[in-house]
Amino acid sequence: MTAVLEVKDLHAAVDGKEILKGVNLTIRQGEVHALMGPNGSGKSTLGYVIAGHPHYEVLEGDILFNGESILDLSPDERAKLGIFLAFQYPVAIPGVSFANFLRAAVSSVRGYRDRIREEMERTGQFKEVGSELIPMREFRKELMDTMDRFNVDRSFARRYLNDGFSGGEKKRGEVLQMAMLKPKIAILDESDSGLDIDALRVVADGINKLVADGMGALLITHYQRILNYVKPDQVSVFYNGQVVLTGGPEVAEMLEEKGYGWIEEHLEELQSEKIAS
Amino acid sequence: MTTKTMIKQTISVAAVKAISDRYDEPEWLRQARLAAWENFVAMPWPTYKEETWRRTRLTGFHLEDFELPQTEVATFDDRQHLPEDLREALDKIDSAGALILQDGQVVYYEFDDSLARKGVIFTDIRSAIRTHEELIKVHLAALTPADENKFAALHYALWINGAFLFMPKHLTVDKPFQVLVLQSAGVANFHHTLLVGEENSEAVIVEDFIGSRQGMSDSVSEVFTKQAARMHYLRLQNLDESAWNFSTQRASAGRDALYRQLQASWGSKLSKVWIDLELEEPGGHGELLGLYFPQDHQHIDHHTNQNHRVPRCTSDLLFKGALDDHARSVYQGLIRVWPGAQKTDAYQKNDNLILSDHARADSIPGLEIEADDVRCTHGATSAKVPEEYIFYLMARGLSRRTAVRMIVQGFFEEVLNRVPVPGVRDKLEAEIAHRVGIE
Ligand SMILES: Nc1ncnc2c1ncn2[C@@H]1O[C@H](COP(=O)(O)OP(=O)(O)O)[C@@H](O)[C@H]1O
Ligand SMILES: [Mg+2]
Repeated sequence: MTAVLEVKDLHAAVDGKEILKGVNLTIRQGEVHALMGPNGSGKSTLGYVIAGHPHYEVLEGDILFNGESILDLSPDERAKLGIFLAFQYPVAIPGVSFANFLRAAVSSVRGYRDRIREEMERTGQFKEVGSELIPMREFRKELMDTMDRFNVDRSFARRYLNDGFSGGEKKRGEVLQMAMLKPKIAILDESDSGLDIDALRVVADGINKLVADGMGALLITHYQRILNYVKPDQVSVFYNGQVVLTGGPEVAEMLEEKGYGWIEEHLEELQSEKIAS
Repeated sequence: MTTKTMIKQTISVAAVKAISDRYDEPEWLRQARLAAWENFVAMPWPTYKEETWRRTRLTGFHLEDFELPQTEVATFDDRQHLPEDLREALDKIDSAGALILQDGQVVYYEFDDSLARKGVIFTDIRSAIRTHEELIKVHLAALTPADENKFAALHYALWINGAFLFMPKHLTVDKPFQVLVLQSAGVANFHHTLLVGEENSEAVIVEDFIGSRQGMSDSVSEVFTKQAARMHYLRLQNLDESAWNFSTQRASAGRDALYRQLQASWGSKLSKVWIDLELEEPGGHGELLGLYFPQDHQHIDHHTNQNHRVPRCTSDLLFKGALDDHARSVYQGLIRVWPGAQKTDAYQKNDNLILSDHARADSIPGLEIEADDVRCTHGATSAKVPEEYIFYLMARGLSRRTAVRMIVQGFFEEVLNRVPVPGVRDKLEAEIAHRVGIE
C-alpha cells in the first residue's frame, strides 16, 4: 500500500498566535512535493505540527496518515508510523553519539523495543539490558554501508549529535538519519539552505535515492535551486500560513521568474481560483 | 532471637582503647587514637554558621544510633567461592590485585606475586602495620590530620582497617588495584585509604563503597603522588540510600607529578565529602572529576579545594550532577593560589542537570588568588533538560524516557570519557542508566 499523508484545513498556533491558517496538502509515498514560500510564512511551523511538536496547538483541521488522524499521537509514535522531519535547525546534543542515538532510534522505529516489551510481559521474564536494541554487528554494518552510500563521512558515527557541526554537516546528518530510519513520508525543512554546491549535490542525491526506494518527500524550500537536482512531482506555494497555489514543476519555474512579490500582488485571484476549483 | 551475648559496643573512649587493645597496636598508634579522640571531643558539632555546613544539615543524625563493628566475617581463599555479587564485581575489572574488606575485616585478598617481588605493597593497613610499620607510621595522617574536621577526628580515633598501596620508584602497573569496602547494616565504619606513589611510579586504584544500610561511613583517604609519579584514584560510592556518609580526602602532587581522581557519589542518604588537592612542588598537575545523581530525598555535598602552593602547577576540576525527585546537591569549590605561585593554571567547573521541579542544586565556585601571573577559570551551570532536545530525539522514534536517558548520559559523557578503566566506565554507565530508569 502506498502511504499518504494528508493535511486538511489545518489551523495551528504557537504561543497563542495563529500561524497556520487552513493548510491543505497531500504527500504520497514515492513522490516529491515541493513547498515553496517566503521566510516567516509558516513552513517550519507546518513541519513541526506534522511531527507533533508539543509547543504548537492545532486549532482546527486534521492530519491524516493513511486516512487516520495522527493528531493524538506523540512525536515518537508518529516516527514509528514512518513520518520523519529533517529539521531546518537541528539541535546539538552534547555527549550523544550518532551511532548510539541511531541504534536506539532504529531499534524503536523497527519495533525491536516493542517486541521485547511484549515478550517480557508475556513470559514475565526480564531480558538483559541491550536486548531491546538491534544487534550491534548488524547495526554497525548497516550504518557503515549507509554512510558510504550516502556520501557521509564514517567519522560521523562517533561524533556527538550536531555538536560543533557546520551547517552543511548538520544537513548531511539529517539525511543520514533519514536513510537509516527509512521513513515512508519525510518532511525536509530547507535541507538545501546554507549549502555549497557540493554539499547540495550530496543532499539532493540522498533524497533522490530514498525517493527511488519509495519514500515520499515534502521538500520545503525557499529557493528554486534544489529543484534542479530533485525533480518535484508537485509544487505548492505557501504564503502567510496557507497553500495558495499547487501545480506541477512549472509552478516553481514561474515563481523563479516572477518572485514572491507576484504572489502577493495576485493573492486574491489565487485564493478565489482555489475556491472556484 | 539469637543467643549471642554480645554487648553493643557504642562510640566512646572505651571503644577507642578497646580497638587498640584488640589489635595490640604499637604505642604511637594508640597515642594517635587517643589524641584524635580528644580532638573529636573538643571540636564542636558543625552548625550552619560554618561556611562548609551552611547548606547541609545533620538533622536526624545521632552517633548513638550506630554500633561499632563486632561480628567476625566469613573469609574466602578462592575467588570462585566468593558470593556471586562479589565475584561478579571483581570479575568486571581485570586487576593487579583485589582486596575485599567487610567492616574492616579482610574477606578476600589476592595479589600478583611478581609485583610483590618488584616492591609493590598492596594489602590491608592492619597487615601492613605488622609487615611495614615504618611506612605506615610515616604516612598515616601525614596528609589528612586528625584535627582536619570533627569527622576526621572521629575517624582517626576509631578506624580499624583500610587499603594500603605502596608503589616503588620507577614502576608502572597498568592494571588497576581493586578494593571493595563492604559495610554492614547499622554499623559505623571508618575505612582508611593510604596510597603512596614513589618517584616516577604509576598506578590505578579503584575503590567501591557498598552497603551501610542505616549505617554510617566516615572515611579518610590520603594519596601521596611523589615526584613525576602518576596516581589514578577512582572512588565509587555506592552506599545504601539510608547511609550517612562523611569523607575527608586529600591528595598531594609532587614535582611534575600527575594526580587524577574520580569521585562517583551515587548512594547514601546524605554525603558530605571534602576533596583537597595539594600542589606542593612545581610542575604538578591534578585532575578532579566528580559524578553524582541523587534521587528521592538524597543530599549530596562536595566541597573541593585546589591548593596551588607553588609556581607552575595546573589543576582541572569537573563535577557533573543530575538531580531528580526531591534531591539536593551542594557543590562548593575553591581554587586557592598562594603568594608566589606564579604560572598557575587552574580550572574548575560544576554543571548540573535538573530533572525535576523539586530538585535543587547549589553551586558555589570560588577563587582566592594571591599571585598575579596566573590563569584561573571557574564556572557553574544549572539547567533543565531542554525540551528542544527531547522533541528532536522523539521525532526520531525514541520514547520520552529513552530520550531523557540519552540526554542525561550524554551530559555525563564529558566525565565518563576521562575514566581510564573501561570496566569502571561500564559500571558508571550502568548506574546512570539504572538511575534514569530503563523502560
Ligand atoms: N514562539 C513563537 N511565538 C510567536 N510567533 C512565532 C513563534 N515561533 C515562530 N513564530 C512566528 O511564526 C511565523 C512562521 O515561522 P516559521 O514557521 O518558522 O516560518 P518559515 O519556516 O516559513 O520561515 C513567523 O512569523 C514567526 O515569527
Ligand atoms: Mg523555516
